[in-house]
Amino acid sequence: MMTRLIPVVRALVFIVAALVLCGVIFQFAGYSAFSMFQDIVDGAFLRPGAPLQSLRWALPLFITSVGVSISFRCGYFNIGAQGQFYIGAICATFMATWLNDAPAYVLTPLCFLAGMAGGALWAFWPGWLRLQSGTDEVITTLMGNFIAGLILVYVTTGPLKDPSGSGQQSSSRPLKAAYRISDSLGVSPVIVAIALVVGIGMWLLVNRTAFGVLASLAGRNPTMVKWQGARVWRIGLSSFLISGALAGLSGVIEVFGPNGRLVGGFLPTHGFTAILIALVASLSVVGIGFVSLFFGGLASAALYLPIMAGLPSSAIDIVNAAIALFITAKSEWVDRLLRLGNAPS
Amino acid sequence: MNDIIIAILRSGTPLVYVTLAGVLAQRSGVWHLGLEGVMIIGACATILGIVATGSFALAMLIACLACVVASALLWFVIERLKASPIIAGLGLTGLGIGGTALAIQSIFGSQAAVTAPFGVPRLGSAFGPYGILSVFVLAMPFVVLALWALLRRTRFGLQLAAAGEHPFAARSVGVNPSTMRLIALLGGGLLCAVGGAELSAGSLQIFAQNMTAGRGFMAFAAVVFGAGHPIGSVLAALFFSVVGAVGIRAQLVFGDAAPHDLLLALPYLATVFGVWLSGQLRGGAKAAADFAELRDY
Amino acid sequence: MTEMQEPALECRNVSVAFGPVTALSQVSLRFEAGLVHAVVGQNGAGKTTFARVVAGLIRPQSGEVLVQGRPVAAGSVKGARAAGVELVHQSFALPPSFTVCEAMEFGAQGNRSVFTRGQLERRWSSHLASLDVAVDTRRRIRDLPVETQQGVEIARALVTDARVLILDEPTAVLSPSGAEKLFDRIRTLSALGVTVILILHKIREVLAIADTVTVLRGGRLIAATTPVAETDSAQLSERIIGSASAQTLAPADAKALVGAESGVVAPGHAAVVAAPMLELRNVATRGDKEGPGLRDVSLVIRPGEIVGLAGVEGNGQRTLVRAIAGLVDTTHGDIKLDGAPVTGVALGERRTRGLRIIPFERNTEGLSLSSALWENWSARQLLRSPLFQFINPRRIQRDSDAALKAWDVRYASTAQKAGSLSGGNAQKVILAREIDDEARLILAAQPTRGLDIGATAFVWRALRAARDRGCAVLLVSSDLDELFDISDRIVVMLSGGVAGEFSPPYDIARVGATMTEARP
Repeated sequence: MMTRLIPVVRALVFIVAALVLCGVIFQFAGYSAFSMFQDIVDGAFLRPGAPLQSLRWALPLFITSVGVSISFRCGYFNIGAQGQFYIGAICATFMATWLNDAPAYVLTPLCFLAGMAGGALWAFWPGWLRLQSGTDEVITTLMGNFIAGLILVYVTTGPLKDPSGSGQQSSSRPLKAAYRISDSLGVSPVIVAIALVVGIGMWLLVNRTAFGVLASLAGRNPTMVKWQGARVWRIGLSSFLISGALAGLSGVIEVFGPNGRLVGGFLPTHGFTAILIALVASLSVVGIGFVSLFFGGLASAALYLPIMAGLPSSAIDIVNAAIALFITAKSEWVDRLLRLGNAPS
Repeated sequence: MNDIIIAILRSGTPLVYVTLAGVLAQRSGVWHLGLEGVMIIGACATILGIVATGSFALAMLIACLACVVASALLWFVIERLKASPIIAGLGLTGLGIGGTALAIQSIFGSQAAVTAPFGVPRLGSAFGPYGILSVFVLAMPFVVLALWALLRRTRFGLQLAAAGEHPFAARSVGVNPSTMRLIALLGGGLLCAVGGAELSAGSLQIFAQNMTAGRGFMAFAAVVFGAGHPIGSVLAALFFSVVGAVGIRAQLVFGDAAPHDLLLALPYLATVFGVWLSGQLRGGAKAAADFAELRDY
Repeated sequence: MTEMQEPALECRNVSVAFGPVTALSQVSLRFEAGLVHAVVGQNGAGKTTFARVVAGLIRPQSGEVLVQGRPVAAGSVKGARAAGVELVHQSFALPPSFTVCEAMEFGAQGNRSVFTRGQLERRWSSHLASLDVAVDTRRRIRDLPVETQQGVEIARALVTDARVLILDEPTAVLSPSGAEKLFDRIRTLSALGVTVILILHKIREVLAIADTVTVLRGGRLIAATTPVAETDSAQLSERIIGSASAQTLAPADAKALVGAESGVVAPGHAAVVAAPMLELRNVATRGDKEGPGLRDVSLVIRPGEIVGLAGVEGNGQRTLVRAIAGLVDTTHGDIKLDGAPVTGVALGERRTRGLRIIPFERNTEGLSLSSALWENWSARQLLRSPLFQFINPRRIQRDSDAALKAWDVRYASTAQKAGSLSGGNAQKVILAREIDDEARLILAAQPTRGLDIGATAFVWRALRAARDRGCAVLLVSSDLDELFDISDRIVVMLSGGVAGEFSPPYDIARVGATMTEARP
């Protein structure tokens, strides 16, 4: 039990360090660090409606983040969650437009499948390039994010543009209420159920299948796994596809859930936050569940700050970035403190 | 014809400077994904510095200082705290983008772009139509050559390369790889300051939120494409710039018929192609394997 | 004339600990100037640690190092080099992509640190020529044959005015004649007044080259700078092995472990006459970055025999193992495993047919150091089931526990990371995984490299037991004593082809000659 807590304590130490850095930056920029933090906590958890708001953000983040953790587990730096998220949303919207007036029980599931396929596809090509020719996935997935962002802008101001909207707005036609899986609040039994299924399914995959063990071994030492006769191809490609599909699924949920439509440039930091969650939680599915709630809170605070406190939402981006800066640190002295009376690790 | 060249030089110069910073980092063994962050800090600090002090030299000094501090922070987290360079770099980028947005919000009360009364000193009429280019553009080829000479024709350059390629070999001759990385990152910080200054104050004298728009990452890609070789990486950066300029040009020529946003994606596609190509030329798997050592995750 | 000259190198009460492990304990030594000193001991005795402390790479927990009577700053390579101490490492410490002259330059001191390519080449060509290292200074380190690389390494160490030169296991990668050439070079250096300290682990080498010998065991000093003339093979052997371990070893094994004689007669083992387990016919492969290609290799290994593969590293042994494993494609010829053709068949399938591998690099090819013991152990069996098959981790952990205990691995819990084990224990984990009842052909690649005497003897026992059970074993090793002691037959590889085959009794001179014969 103690050994399980070590990554938790280590994560907490570095989050605190990150928050200290944020405090310094806030002060330096001319804001009172203390009141900023106060406002953030307020916006995230304390004000009425905050817990539900936080949950709304946490659910899609959870799904994407679990997907990210599968890739990372396999040792692939698939940082393309944002792009896969967008492409999933785009594909689902195209499918909805194409199926037009079909009954809800046909259209919605098909759109979900389309979205997951789209996300998987957007992860497939960097994965294939990596496995085929060793082209590094950090760059390809990163570029994929930028390209997907531009595709989104193109699609919402072009082919999928809502004709009834004003010229400034870039979004698709709103979906009929019957097709949606939640209202604009974003928390509904359907979404929660999806998140649970994903969570349980991925937990089983990671902890109760051969894939889970082999992916972890391959992630830590692909050479060893190669000498065991594994087809690293299959393990690697599977992980890319699963990650992409889950990120795409989140994209569909946003479109068919709280947004009700495809909006240009929506949630631009979703992918990065999901990656961060996976790292803070040390790639554990259960951990990701808890950490998603925390970052969901931060996301809801980001909306609250400009409205209620007159502060820029970039403050939250800074908190996220500072956490990212420190979270993968190892620092010997922290480890030594934590190793009080534990088995040799 | 002239204006095409000017456009390419204007968009290419910031990228080249930042690419050189990336090359330095790469040689010393650091995958610098924080280039975007350091670059935007340089861009913002230059404009703010000009507005605040009215002197370009002072503003440049401030920008260099800010970039050096940011780079030192990255070094500390990577070398002393042993964090993953990739994630820490992304974190630094986020801090840069968010921090600069926060700064202008705090100082100017809004998130609108900030204009400065003047920018980087220009070359002047002696250079004819090219007079509107900044001095940094003229300095660029010299800086590239100087860096090439430093890396390939000095003992220091060899020691830096040893620190990145075979840290144990470096240690066994008394060279501290960690110190080498610090020097590389701090030097890179200065280069990013210049690149950022050129971006914001080199032509239009404006700083807008998130104005680097992925250039730092493109610089990183240029470094990978050029396998850390100074000349090769710079050529890759210029190639990406040209592609970007072509995209904008096509838009001007074809107007609405051209899918505006998709053309903007050309540089990113070119980057993917470039990285794939360099992997092919260099025996792909080898490149991946080399970098695998630098990863700890 | 002074009565008591300052020793060239002295250490007083040096102790080094890495966490809970003591590497060196209160070692005090004096090395007289101008002589060739040997430091011997089994793997894990602390020899490399000692060398690194003296060279400034490791800071000792206590004690000090003095050169010509003056103390040297602890843990400072610059300080050690300034005092004239240089170390040539066991596994080469030159960046592979550097050219020879770049490799000379990056460790140099003094002015003129900016140069053109031409200047660089001129500067170092004469230095290398003066040391009798024949190499084109424009070649890259990674393209050089092993013996030349070592020559360049030594040249690099002598760039500054070294007074004390330490060589860590220099003979490990050399053929017998290569070792002779090295010794000649050392004699020349010694004549020039350089004090040479050699880390060795074969007694016959000590007797051939050294003036004094120091024995370390378990981090402790057993015998300090004993003049070689005053000791003999038996005494050294006893000191190296220690009386406790000595009792469990067969005399032939003991002699092989310490390299005591120059041609050991292996106790005869009647070969089982049965259908070949492994058959290679005219196999050829392309060369790649991991090694030269194979040229027309034909080889037969039968059940119940251990075939030793000898040769200087880099002559195709690695490619051969990879070809048998299916990790590299054959361009010509075929391979049969247990009578069935397997050319082009993937490794996973070959493993199902009884192929097992103990890979060259324990830590990168054999184990995932940051993964748990049970994960490492279960990798092979998990790959036999479908990828998304459900498993019961508790049961696998129990099975792994039973298997590891049966192989005498020392650990606290199967959830422990593999990287926390000592070299010997880690190798046992690999054996536990690879040598099961269904193993038919075992490729053992340098299985005892870096292991201490107890672990080495354990591996030999395991391989012999497997052979006695009817397995076919291919043992690749650069240690001729080991091969002579264990193998029923020896095959020598040179430049990607088979250069010779030998049956016992083995003659080190003849085998050694085959290892380096220049091809017409």
